[in-house]
Amino acid sequence: MVGSPVQLIAIPLFAAFLIPLLGKAWKELVRITPGVVILYLLYLSVDLLNYTIEHGRVVEVIAGWTPPWGIDLVFSPFSGFLATLMLFMGLLVWIYSYRYQTFEDYDDYEPTLKYYLLLMMMITASVGVVLTGDIFNLFVFIEILGITAYGLTAYYRHRDGAEASFKYLFIGSLSSTFLLLAIMIIYSQLGTLNMADIAVKAHELKPVYKITALVLFLVAFGIEAEMFPLNGWAPDAYSQAPAPVGAAFAGIVVKAGLYTVIRLIYTLFEVGGTYEYLIVMGLITMFFAEFAAFSQTKLKRMLAYSSIGQMGLVLVAFGIGKEEGVYAALFLMFNHAIIKSLLFMSGSYLVYKSKNKYISELNGVGKMMPVTSFLFALGAFAIVGFPPFAGFWSKLAVLTAAADSGMLLIIALILSISLIEVIYYLRVVNRIYFVKRDTDLGITKPTPQAMFSMLVLGAIILIVGFYPDVITGVLHKASATLLDKGSYINDVLSLSQTIN
Amino acid sequence: MSLGSNLDLLTVTFYGTAIALILIGLYAALVKRSLIKILIGLSIVDSGINLLLVSIGYLKGGTAPIFSPAVIDKNPAMVDPVPQALVLTAIVIGFAVTAVALALVIRLYRHHKTVNIDEIKNLKW
Repeated sequence: MVGSPVQLIAIPLFAAFLIPLLGKAWKELVRITPGVVILYLLYLSVDLLNYTIEHGRVVEVIAGWTPPWGIDLVFSPFSGFLATLMLFMGLLVWIYSYRYQTFEDYDDYEPTLKYYLLLMMMITASVGVVLTGDIFNLFVFIEILGITAYGLTAYYRHRDGAEASFKYLFIGSLSSTFLLLAIMIIYSQLGTLNMADIAVKAHELKPVYKITALVLFLVAFGIEAEMFPLNGWAPDAYSQAPAPVGAAFAGIVVKAGLYTVIRLIYTLFEVGGTYEYLIVMGLITMFFAEFAAFSQTKLKRMLAYSSIGQMGLVLVAFGIGKEEGVYAALFLMFNHAIIKSLLFMSGSYLVYKSKNKYISELNGVGKMMPVTSFLFALGAFAIVGFPPFAGFWSKLAVLTAAADSGMLLIIALILSISLIEVIYYLRVVNRIYFVKRDTDLGITKPTPQAMFSMLVLGAIILIVGFYPDVITGVLHKASATLLDKGSYINDVLSLSQTIN
Repeated sequence: MSLGSNLDLLTVTFYGTAIALILIGLYAALVKRSLIKILIGLSIVDSGINLLLVSIGYLKGGTAPIFSPAVIDKNPAMVDPVPQALVLTAIVIGFAVTAVALALVIRLYRHHKTVNIDEIKNLKW
């Protein structure tokens, strides 16, 4: 073990605010520093993940105050897997946005500086959300995540970024209000903020407080996790933000939101009916999002709605529960991160010159940008779940999990909703390759860095597609960890006995 | 510490004011059409929640939560320090969000020459 989990939060936080100072010395450092830092963190995180898979979770106590009094960070195979995934996606987003043209269009380097600063903070906050073991600390990280996301959404002055951002901010503020109210109810009734301690004491809560807190939490977290009907911010934010930010939203921010929902339902509270609730909400989310995606005329909005639909499917998989369901859900989260990021990255180059980003402007672009179009098509085939790409295995896992639980109706619903997905993705691929080009829009070749990170994602899709075993081991371990609530509580709370 | 016990006048005032503030703020945020008024509403909601949080930790006749033998011998009852720490953090976060939001409003105003939410409709609301 080379480092402790606290470095995963402390180093990027420190580096983020160091970036402006380093930029004064040499402007290129503004672009280089985030990559170096994220690369180191990724190394640290992979190393920690290997360690935890062998030796069980690492619980880090901050400032010597043991749980349940102090704040603790929990690096388990489950949270560690998500943290590693986020850092990996962060690295690819950094490579992609290195010397990204529109950033360089601005004469001064101020916007570039802000972009990297906010990106670093966003990654810090997302990793913080999954690692922390304290609900108030979680609130703080969610707020940091929110503020950076608002900032990045409003990045472009010439688009409607500010409008999308304000919308996001309004919903986000209401969400934080609900979250704070829920935390208050918990604290006033149980006198603790530590997740493990809450999980132990949750049965002492009166039903009325328990239900109120649960509903407030679900509303608050559902907004970040794009759960229906709280996902109105998502299509606008995705379509107005710069392309790498869209990829970061899909790969990092939404994962953090989903994590909070899952932690809430699997660890904090045990209330009858929440799993069924997840299934129902997931199906409704899927249904509305896929139909909305089907009727979109703009590429990025279509991708954003498809992203919401995928999150719905993840919720369904978590709602199925048991180890198989959780395994399927984690596999879906992994696939969604890599595939949807690839779609955002390649898709935004396909419509780079276009102002309105209409899908019809993709006609015949396959001949002009063969590699980028191929990568987009690969992503489209993978996300709808065609074999032998990565998405196939996760969808199969969801269906198997549902079949083993005897939920045949759910299988039928998932399959029929997926059919819509297949139709609208194939429609786009059809336009790219088989429709004659009818616009005089020029094309912009991706930068070598952008091409590299897209090729890496494409390669991962193929590798996981042909040899799913490279990832399934970690996923099985992670899902087993999430379900083992007893050992989570024990690992966290036993610290106060051993150290004192 | 529970919400229901020792309902004296002071406690009722605290909780009543806090809940009233939250409701007034929510009304402003959801009904008003001016971006500035919406933000003021969100700030009022924040204040209400902060007041509610502090009231939870309040103890009648309690002293400041400082551990020193002299204070504890004289009056062992202390107010709960945790909600106060939480409120401090929440105030700072609320301040930051409001600042970001105002910056966005300035940007929107320059773009659209209005702060009326009904006239800013390039995206679907």
